[in-house]
This record gives sequence, C-alpha cells and structure tokens, in this order.
Amino acid sequence: MSLEERELEVLIGPQHPASGHMRLVAKIDGDVVVELRPNIGYVHRSVEKLAEVKKYLQIIPLVERPSLADTTANNLTYVMAVEKLLGIEPPPRAQYLRTLLAEINRIHSHFYGMGIHGVMIGSSTAYMWCFGDREPLIELAQELTGARLTYSYIVPGGVRRDLPQGFEDKVEKVMRYLENRMPDYFDLYFNNPVTRARLEGVGVLSREDAIRLGVAGPNLRASGVPYDVRKVEPYAAYPELDFEVVTEEAGDAFARVMVRVREIQESIKIIRQVLKKIPDGPILNEKYMKMIPPNLRKQVEETGRIKFPGVFANLRVPAGEAIARVEGGRGEVIFHIVSDGKMSPYRMRMVTPSFRNVILFEHLTRGVRVADIPAIYGSLDYFPPEADR
Amino acid sequence: MQDLLSLIFEPYVFVPLIFPGITVAFLLLLVIIWLERKMAAKVQLRYGPLYVLKPLGGAIQMVADLLRYLFQEPIIPKTVDKLAFILTPALLFGMAYLPTVAIPVSPTFYAFRSDLSLLIVLALSTLAPIFTVVMGWASNNKFSLIGGVREGYIVVSYEIPMFLSALSMAVLYGSLDLVDIAEAQKGLWGIFLNPVAAITMLVLMYMSTSKFPFEIPEAESEIVAGAYTEYSGILYGLVMGASYVKLYVLSLVFSILFLGGWNPVPGFMANDPLLPGVLLFIKAFIIIVIGAFLRAVYPRFRIDQAMDLGWKTLLPLSIISIFISLAEVMIMGGA
Repeated sequence: MSLEERELEVLIGPQHPASGHMRLVAKIDGDVVVELRPNIGYVHRSVEKLAEVKKYLQIIPLVERPSLADTTANNLTYVMAVEKLLGIEPPPRAQYLRTLLAEINRIHSHFYGMGIHGVMIGSSTAYMWCFGDREPLIELAQELTGARLTYSYIVPGGVRRDLPQGFEDKVEKVMRYLENRMPDYFDLYFNNPVTRARLEGVGVLSREDAIRLGVAGPNLRASGVPYDVRKVEPYAAYPELDFEVVTEEAGDAFARVMVRVREIQESIKIIRQVLKKIPDGPILNEKYMKMIPPNLRKQVEETGRIKFPGVFANLRVPAGEAIARVEGGRGEVIFHIVSDGKMSPYRMRMVTPSFRNVILFEHLTRGVRVADIPAIYGSLDYFPPEADR
Repeated sequence: MQDLLSLIFEPYVFVPLIFPGITVAFLLLLVIIWLERKMAAKVQLRYGPLYVLKPLGGAIQMVADLLRYLFQEPIIPKTVDKLAFILTPALLFGMAYLPTVAIPVSPTFYAFRSDLSLLIVLALSTLAPIFTVVMGWASNNKFSLIGGVREGYIVVSYEIPMFLSALSMAVLYGSLDLVDIAEAQKGLWGIFLNPVAAITMLVLMYMSTSKFPFEIPEAESEIVAGAYTEYSGILYGLVMGASYVKLYVLSLVFSILFLGGWNPVPGFMANDPLLPGVLLFIKAFIIIVIGAFLRAVYPRFRIDQAMDLGWKTLLPLSIISIFISLAEVMIMGGA
C-alpha cells in the first residue's frame, strides 16, 4: 500500500467543537498526524483597510474588536502610536491607570486561554473555574471603564476615567481571592496526573526554533527566552515597577500553561504596586484638558470622567510614521501608523501575537497524536479573530 | 388483574422487565445523568440543571431531554448505510441491557439459575462495543470512523484484564454462579479478600463505559462525538444511554463479586427479594455515582496512554489478582 493511501485527510473545523473560527487540515496516518495546516481567514474583518476611512478616535473600538479577550493591549498600542505622531505624553496618573487596566486584562486573558485549553483536553472543571474566576476581574474593569471587555479606555493623551471611589479595596479583595484560589487549580488541574500526562512533553518548542519562527508572548517565554516588551522597551508605568519576566525551560504545552499561571502571579504583584505608587494629578494631557469648556472641565474634575474636547472628533495627526509595541496577554502587539496629515491614517499596520504564533500549528504538530492537536492548540492561546484581523 | 400482577412478580418476568431489567435501568438513566450534571456543577461552582421542576433542583431535566429527543427529527444522512445506521442504536442499547437477565436479585429470586451466570453476563456485555464499531463504519464520516476504531482499540485493551480480574473472584469462590459467589460473602466481602482485583475491575469498568478519564471514543474536542457524530433525535438518545446502562450492569456484577451482593441481609428476610434487591441496587448505584463524579475531576487520556494503562499496568495487575486468589484458596484449603 502506498503512503498516500494510508493517509486520511481530516478537516477539523470550521464547524467543529474545538476548532475555533478556522479550519485545520490534518493528514493522519492511523493516530499519528503527518501534517497539519491551519487554514485561517474565516473571520477576517479588514481592520487595516477600514482604519483608512475612519477617524482616529473611531479606530480605537475598531482595533479592540478582533482580540476580544485582550482588548487593552490593542487599545494601548494604537494610542501609543498615535501619541508618538501627535508628540504628546499622557500625565503620570494616566500612565499608571493604563498599566492597571493592562494587567487586569492580562490576568483575565490568561484565564480565558487556560479555560479553553482545559476543556480542549477534557477538563470541564478547569474551563468553568477559569471562566468563573475571570468574572471578578471583568467586573473590576467594568467598574473602572464602564465596559466588560471592549473598554476603549485609553484615549490619546490619557484615559477616559479616574479611579472610582473605594476601588483599591475592591482590587485588593479580588487579588486576595485569586491568591487563595490558585492552590485549588494546582490540586485539581495542574497537578492532576492525567493533565500532566496530556501536557508534559507534548508540542515541544525548542529555544532556537522559538526565536527562528518569531514566536511571541508566553509561548516564546515558555521556551526559555526571557523576552518581554515591558522590560525590553518599557512603556506606560512599567519602568517604575518591579516585576520579573517569567520563563520556563521545557517549551512543552505544560510549560506554556505554567508561564501563564506564573504571569498571573506577577500581574497581581504589579497591580498592588500600581495602586500603592499611583500619583495624584490629571488623567488627560494638559493640552486637551484646556480644550474642554470651563463648565464641563469642572464637572470632569469632580466626577473623574472625561468629556471629550471637540478637537477629538476631528483629530488631525501630523504627517509621519510611528511604531508602538506593547506586551499584551497573548504576546507582543505592534502598530505601525503612517499619517499624511489627514483625518484618517494613510496606512495602519496591526501585527497581533496570534498571527505570529499561527505558524506553530504546522511546526509543533508533526508526528504527534490526533488527541494532541487540541492539547497543543489550547496551549498556544491562539485566537482566530485576532490572527485574521 | 390479579393474574397479571402475579405474572409480573414471577422472577422470569420481573428480572428482565423491572429490576434489574429495563424499567429500573431506564429510571436510573434519568436520575444518573441529572446527578452527573448536578455533581459536576457543584464542583464547578454553578447550578447545573435547574429550571425543570425547580423545587427539586431540576430533577426531571432528563425527562424533558428525553421528550426533546423523541420529538426531534432523527436526521439520516444520504450517504450512510441506512440499515446499519438505524438498527445499531437499538441493538447497542438492547445488548447493553441484555446481561441483566442473568443477574440474581436475591438467593432465591432470579430469572434463571445457571452454573455459568458470571460468564454469561460478561460474555453478553462484550457484544455491545461491536455495534459502536459498526456505527462508526456505517455513518460514513471520518470522525465517526476514528471514533469507531478508537472504541475497537479500547475494547481490546480493557476486555482481557477485566475478565481476568472478574474470573479471579470465580477462582477464589470456586464457582461461576453469581448466587453462590454472593452467598460466599456472608462474612468477608470480596473487596477485602482481593483488593487488587477490585481496583483493576473498577478502573476497567469506567474505561469500558467511556467515563472520564477514559472518555476517548467520543472525545468532543478531538472527534466531535466519535461514532455518534451523525446521530440525532431518539437514535442519539439511545446510543448515549447505552454506555450508562452498561455501567449499571457492570456495577451490579461488581457489587456481587466484591461488595457482597445483597449481604448483609438478615436470614429471615433473605427469601423476600425486596431488601436484598434494594441493597444490591444501592451498592451498584454508589459505584455508578463515583464513575459519574470522575467527570468533574479528570481530563481525558490520550488513546495510547489508555492502552498503555490497560496492557502494561492493569493486565499484569489482573494476572497478579489471579495468583492472589489461588494463594488464598491454597491457604484456606479450597473453597
């Protein structure tokens, strides 16, 4: 029998319980995967092209939509690029608030990824727990920004809202809850012999390959590369905060999960520091603050909620180019904006971590078992809409 | 009317139709699936089934589900082998429940008594998986095919050690008759005489009925629903129920082999089948509940890992259990 006849082509997705919005074309020989090719593009939303006809402020919600679980990263990166072109700096308090939301978002984005991964290898408990424990964080973000996922919190020159009353106590309560909750996850899920058997040694990505393939985020750090944009090219309030870049040496699916777990612990550390160190002051750049009419400005100072100055509606950005990078929950987000001085960018390039990680589907699945496909897929925390944009 | 009642309580009618037969199996199905979902929900910090009969926590959720299955259109795709596709669910369910006829309810209440009733139950229980494999082939779907093949691989890795550990108890008691085996446990239960066999058999029972962590033939995130992918409506209801019924049958056998069957039952009650039957059912029910609870604890193994476990760990253990039985028989001077 020739090799071609031995192989069975299985189309996993897009109508499959665990494929997400994409198709995996798997060629299998018995239970062994010979080749797996991701077929992406099912949820392409043309974000880059749409940005060319939208005004600068309208692009903020637009870039958030593709990566629904990790919106702050896109929001922050885009605004940072715009700010570079505008040549303005947000005030220190706004920088801290941005960091606060980014870290809250990082934790719940990691929970999202771990939950999906859990149900992909069959642990419905891990799924429910992760999605349940994501909830207090989403509620924190909701109280801070007014939205559960699509915050649009970060605007050129600052942020939209100040800390609500008594927010510090609520955050501390949630952080303490998370710390007390983590041992349960280890008891039932991470140290479960079946979980270990399914994840350890599966989908091993070597350090060299991780660098060569341009992998981003926790997947890169799980292969022992201590690369984190927060350290390499600090932004927002990160230069003033003390935290460590989490790495694991093994490079397998379990290491990728462990990086996320330990990053949650680091994020808790960062959030506590932010709330301790956060300076007083305005939350919007002075230049824009002045443009708000005096009676409204008084209201802004009292309520801590920005009323957008008129200039925001038709924000014109000076001609030029700018690149901004941010370490989001899933990895490095890059925005490149080319402006020709009009009301919309001439060109906007959005590079998302999922798009950079999609290559791993092909690379990591050669020669694995069929049941390892979801185990590897989940461990990458891959999000199809984010990759398709 | 009187005749009809007395006919129903004749053992050869009562056993297949009421207990442990189809009626109780069916009621158990309705309860255990609800309980499984409810227990998993408790661990997962949520409510589970709730709105169907709210005062009892959604206890008749499965009745509602059954009604839905009954009225849903059973879609039969054009490309399937129609005869096999339609018949296999009924045969699978029937075969899963058939072994109950050979299970005794009390020392004097059974459909028929045979010297080989243990062998009959085990032999009948092995027939059901064949239909799962046929189902995977008849569905003409790649996921179904993989699911059917997986079922086949799992069968060969659990069947031999499960039989060996069950038969080690027959060696110990010197009989293949379930009534004799249960009666021999008036004092010490089998699980204390041969714990290795008990543990091996328990794990393999869960493996044979696709309980977590062995929910491999219908792994949702890998192969949609395995051999059952193309099924809908009441046909799907039947195939889903079959594995629970099989677990119920094997749990009854496990209770008789290792948990003393209807013992301890006071001597004067032994002739009335009510109390022994209830005791036997409770023991089997606990075994099923443990199996259902595992869903909340474990992810699922990969198929090669499950086969490794079957061939490399449980098969040697089951052979050891035979030697334990032999040694005990030698020491105690024969049964």
